[in-house]
Parts: sequence; C-alpha cells; structure tokens
Amino acid sequence: MMKSKVMLFVIVLLAVSAMAAFANGEKAPATAAAMPQRTINVLLWDDPYPKALMAMLPEFTAATNITVNIEMLQPPQVLTKTAISVTNTTTDYDVVGIDEGNVPVFASLLLPFDSWYKGTVYPKTDPKSVTPKMYSIGTWNGVQLGVPINGNLYVWMTRKDLIENPTYMSQFKAKYGYALGVPKTFKELLEMGTFFNENGIAAGFGPFNGGPAGVLSEAVFMWESYGTKFIDFTGGTFKVVLDEDKAVEGMEFYKKLMTISPKGAETMAHVERQAAFAADPKGVFSMFIWPAQIAAYEDPTKSLVAGKIAYSAPPAGPRGQAAVTGAWAIAIPKASKNQEAAAEFIYWWSSKAIADKLVQANTIPARTETLTNPAYASSKPWLPALADSMKVAASRPRFKEIGQVQDVVKKYWIMGITGAMPTRDAVRAIVKETNDILQKAGY
Amino acid sequence: MKGAGGHGSPVPFLLPALLIVFAVLIFPIIFSFVVSLFDWPLSAGGGSRRFIGASNYVDLVKDKEFWNSLKLQLGFIFIAIPLELVLGLAAALLLNREFQGGRVIRALILLPVFFLPVVSGMTWRFMLQPRYGALNNFLLALGAPEITWLGDPTFAYAAIIIQDIWRMWPFVFMLLYAGLAGISTDILEAAEIDGAHFSKRLFSIILPLLYPTILTALLLRIIDALRIFSEVYVMTEGGPGMATTLFSLYTHRQAFGYMKVGMASAMAIFLLVISIVFAVTLVRKNMSLEKLEERGGDR
Repeated sequence: MMKSKVMLFVIVLLAVSAMAAFANGEKAPATAAAMPQRTINVLLWDDPYPKALMAMLPEFTAATNITVNIEMLQPPQVLTKTAISVTNTTTDYDVVGIDEGNVPVFASLLLPFDSWYKGTVYPKTDPKSVTPKMYSIGTWNGVQLGVPINGNLYVWMTRKDLIENPTYMSQFKAKYGYALGVPKTFKELLEMGTFFNENGIAAGFGPFNGGPAGVLSEAVFMWESYGTKFIDFTGGTFKVVLDEDKAVEGMEFYKKLMTISPKGAETMAHVERQAAFAADPKGVFSMFIWPAQIAAYEDPTKSLVAGKIAYSAPPAGPRGQAAVTGAWAIAIPKASKNQEAAAEFIYWWSSKAIADKLVQANTIPARTETLTNPAYASSKPWLPALADSMKVAASRPRFKEIGQVQDVVKKYWIMGITGAMPTRDAVRAIVKETNDILQKAGY
Repeated sequence: MKGAGGHGSPVPFLLPALLIVFAVLIFPIIFSFVVSLFDWPLSAGGGSRRFIGASNYVDLVKDKEFWNSLKLQLGFIFIAIPLELVLGLAAALLLNREFQGGRVIRALILLPVFFLPVVSGMTWRFMLQPRYGALNNFLLALGAPEITWLGDPTFAYAAIIIQDIWRMWPFVFMLLYAGLAGISTDILEAAEIDGAHFSKRLFSIILPLLYPTILTALLLRIIDALRIFSEVYVMTEGGPGMATTLFSLYTHRQAFGYMKVGMASAMAIFLLVISIVFAVTLVRKNMSLEKLEERGGDR
C-alpha cells in the first residue's frame, strides 16, 4: 500500500515537472558539467563598466563551462584592433564592443542579431528590454547587428558643495537675482560658472576638447541646443543640414564657456576633466559626464566629490535640451568560430540579473527596467537624471566616413572656440570640408 | 656549381640569407607598394579591395593635411636633431676626461634614453598640464603666468620637440663620447704643445676625426625621428587642431581613423622614399670610403 503511494507520488511529480517544462516552452536548463568546455575572446573598451563585469565572470563560467578572455583597451585602440583583427573570414575575437559611431564602419563584418543562436542557459536578449533611445545604436540600415549594452548619454554634473554653500548662495542671489543651483539653462550655466570663476572659487565649466569623437559630441550638443542638426539622412543620402547662423551662435556660446574653463581647456580630455572635477577643489563647477565614468567620480578613494554631485539632464539652450548619446553595442563577428558561446555570453551580460548587479557597481546598463527601477533612485541619483536625458537624446551622425568628418569638426571647432579663427569662418570650413568628404564618398 | 675561380658557387651559401632579407625587408616594401595601388577600406574585411592605380598618390598630393604633416615632420627633424647633436657633442667634450664621479654622471645622463617613448610622452603631458603640472607650478612660484603648453599650437609643437631632445640627446652623447674616446690623445697633446687653442683643436682635429661618428648619429636620429609616433600620440594626439599631426600620426589616422589602408600605404612608401633620400645623401656622399680616405689624408 505504502509502495503504491510512493509510486503514485513519483508519477505525479514527474508529470507536473514535464507539464511545467512544456508550459514554459523551454528546455530544462543544461548543467555546466554537461556542456563542452569552450573559450571565447572578447574585445571591450576600458572603463569601470566592463571592469565591473569582469568580477562577475566566474558566475558565467560556472553556469556555462565557457571561459571568457576579456581584453580591454582605450576606445581608439578598440577601433584599431577591431579593424586589424576582424575580417570577413578570420577573427581574433568572438565578441567585440563597438562604439555607436563605428557600427556602420564594421557592419559588413558582423553577424545580424536575427542569426544569433538561441541561448542554451540564458534566453536570447529581448530587444525591447533595451532603452528605446539606445536601441538604434546597435542597428545599421535597419538591421540589428549588436546589443546596446550601456545607457551612455550626456548627464550633467554639478558640485553640490558649491551650490549649497550658504555664502555663495547669498552672494550669487544678490548679484544675479535668482537662486544658485543646478543650471537649467545655458544662461544660468554661464552666469553661475562666471560667478565661481570670477571669485576664484572654481572654474565655471569643464569642456571636452580631447579626441575627435568627443569634440564632435560637444559640437552636436551645442548645435542641437541652438536648434540645428549637423548631418541628416534625407532622400536616401547624407546631407549637411547645418544652419550657419545657429551653428555660429552655438560655437560663440561655447567660446564664452571656454573663458570660464580651467587653464589648458583647449586640450582637456577625460583624464584632465576627471582630475579637475574630482580631485581639485578649485577645479570645475559644472560639466557633462558620460555615465559610464560615474563610478570613478563616485569612488571615495579616487574622488573628493563622491556623494557630493548633483546629477541632471543637460541645461537647455535657446531651442531646448540635447543629450548626446555615446553608447556601446556588443556584437559577434561573422567569422567567429564560437558564435554559440559568444551569444550565450552576450545574453548573460544583457540579462536583468547582471544589469541589477552592474547598477550596484555604479555603472549604467542599457536595460530600461533597471535604469528606471525606483528602488535605485535614491542610492544612485544619476539614474533619474539619465532617464531625463533619455527624453532629449540626440545622436551624432553615423556613416562610414565619420572618422574624417570628426577630424574636420575637431580642427575647426577648436580653432573657433579658442579664437584662432572667426567662428563663422570655422563653421563655413566645417560645412565645406564635410560636403567634400560626403561628395567624394558618393553620397 | 663551380665558380669562376674554380671554387664552388657562393649562391647556395647566400641563399638562406637572401631569403631572409627578402622576407623581412623586401617583401613588406613590395607588399606596401602593391597595397598603395588599391582602395582597401580596412573596415570591410580582407576581401573588399579595388585596384585604383596611382589614385592614392594623386589624392595625397592634393591633400593639404598631407603637406601640413610633412612640413611638421621635416620641421621636427631640422629643429630637434641639430640641437641634440650640439648638446650631445658639448656633453661628450665636457665629460671626455676622468674626474671624481665621472662614471656616475655619464651613466645618469643616459637615463632618458631608457624611457619608453609612450611613458616619456605621458610624463611630459602631465608635467606640462597648466594647473597641476610641475613646470607651471615652478613658473608660478617664480611669478610667471600660467601657460597652456599643449593648448597652444606653437607651444605644443615646441613641447614635442623639447620632449624628443630631452629623451634622445643622451643617445647622441653616447655615440659621440665613444667616438671621442677613440681619438688618440697623442694627436691632441701634440696640437696643444704646438700652441693650438681649444677651438682650433675642435675644428681642425676633433670634428674631422669624429665626422663618421657624427654622420652615423645623424643618420640614426633622422631615421628614428621620421618614425616618431607614440610619444606625440600620447602627448597631444596631433592637436590642438592639427598642430602636431606629424607625418606618422597622419599615416596612422589614414589607416585606423579613416580605415584607408591604401592611402596609409602610399604615405608609408612616401616616407620610405624620404628616408632613402636622407640615407643616400648622408651615406653615399659623405661616408664613402673615398671621402673618408680623403678626410684621413687631410689630417
């Protein structure tokens, strides 16, 4: 009697398990031990985000029996190495990180997302899980080629220790007639920055004048804020649509910001900006940040302003706000011999569980539900700011010849904002030389 | 397999060496030249290339940034290397004697040569940082205004030259010191006894005898300076604007910024031609045996 009850229980248990698996429509998860040992090579950019991911890799390897060799390089070197190491027929890497501007450059070498393997351990990434403004960065010509992996776009940082200082608050109010705070408009940014700069408290602004891609971001930020686009895809081709007057106004305003920026602003790149904002009490009052770098600014061992930064969307220009996107997509080269393992790795990385852990490490995944999770809003104050920035996101132009265009913009933008050339002449030179590049490229 | 003199032919013995020379020296040059005749976008993978003849060379000649980079590169060579030679020679003359601590000083002078170029570039970048850089702090202490060294086109160009002089003059010193040590003291002492003062000894004895060493140093430095890249890349990335985009940086940008391998190869071939012109001018016209014998005869 007892024996038959046990038998009945076992049968019912098996039936329920089978039905549950059937209802889910998925295979029972394979155990790592049952999976073959595989190794994949991954090329990523070097910042706190991939570094935080590296700490979690043992978990992935334990679940999949896949060993991941991650190589991290500075962004320009990622581009160089990808160009050398990935071809139509061979590749040194099974997964590559690609800056959004370069997705068109490598599009022909990447495996379309639709052709990626279905995950064995982790389900295939749902494109809808990605923040909508970020989704397009992984696509080219309407084909999704990579999974956008970080929610990187302009977020504004302002030093709370300065704007909450009672003395500065009263002095500023007495002079300008309104309250000191996070600058909401360009006018406020200039006036508050000038106030701090003139009084020797801190430089008013931290520009970015480093690499060509970053300089183009600043130019697009200004131009969009003044109501003009740079290049548009219209009528099946790329055209320069820059409104000269608005572009000049944007450049002139940036020129004013340069006068309240730290010495050496003409060549300020991320290293100098971070040193000025986070390590120098007289450094910088307010500037943009790529959220991917926030972890370094909020690390008390590296930053004097950790926990003392007010985050917001960028201040508005005369025609509104603009937050330039600078996200990365991760993709699988067509030539990879480990496409299945590579896809598994990307599915794991883009999963909700990992996104939640990455947020805890002060980094910015691209998943909407993680970025907008109210549970993180108080402990991660940049997330609500990021959500606000997403509403006014603006992208840099993307096409194969963007490298040449970036150099043209950088050359004349720097000359314009430093006074080495009249701003109108600089804008005209940008338009002329960009048109030459587009024409030569057959657009 | 018998040679003219009844000996075995030398070809089998030379063949391995010739093969190695071809593989490591000749083939890359031929390959670069062939690539320079193609439109080969690096980003399109290995397969997508199109023969375009001399179009890359024609485009280069029309490209004002190409000429700008060449001008900057040649300016760099003609400013930095003479100064390195003067400094190296002066130090070699000064230290070519025995004195207390001489060996230590000579060893210390050589230290910058052992700096990795990329480390040297980064060190100078931080040293020249206007706000927290060592140089400006020193100048500020003396009452000078803050200077944005790498933000001004002229200062930035001067900075990369000074960095190179700092790092490489000890190399010239090393060569010239070795050359000086090889000059017989008997000649110099005899000249001194004959009443020749220092400048007479320098221009009539030391420099003529050092001539081959100076030429060697010059040639090595020119070849090295034509290839300068990493220190400038980390110091300025070619900026501000294009103010320090030397030839090598522009070649790199063509290859990995614009993905134009054909164009970058055309620039590499151009650089090779320049190098050959320098080498032929220096070696063939000044270091031929006849010339050296002539100079020996003069002495």
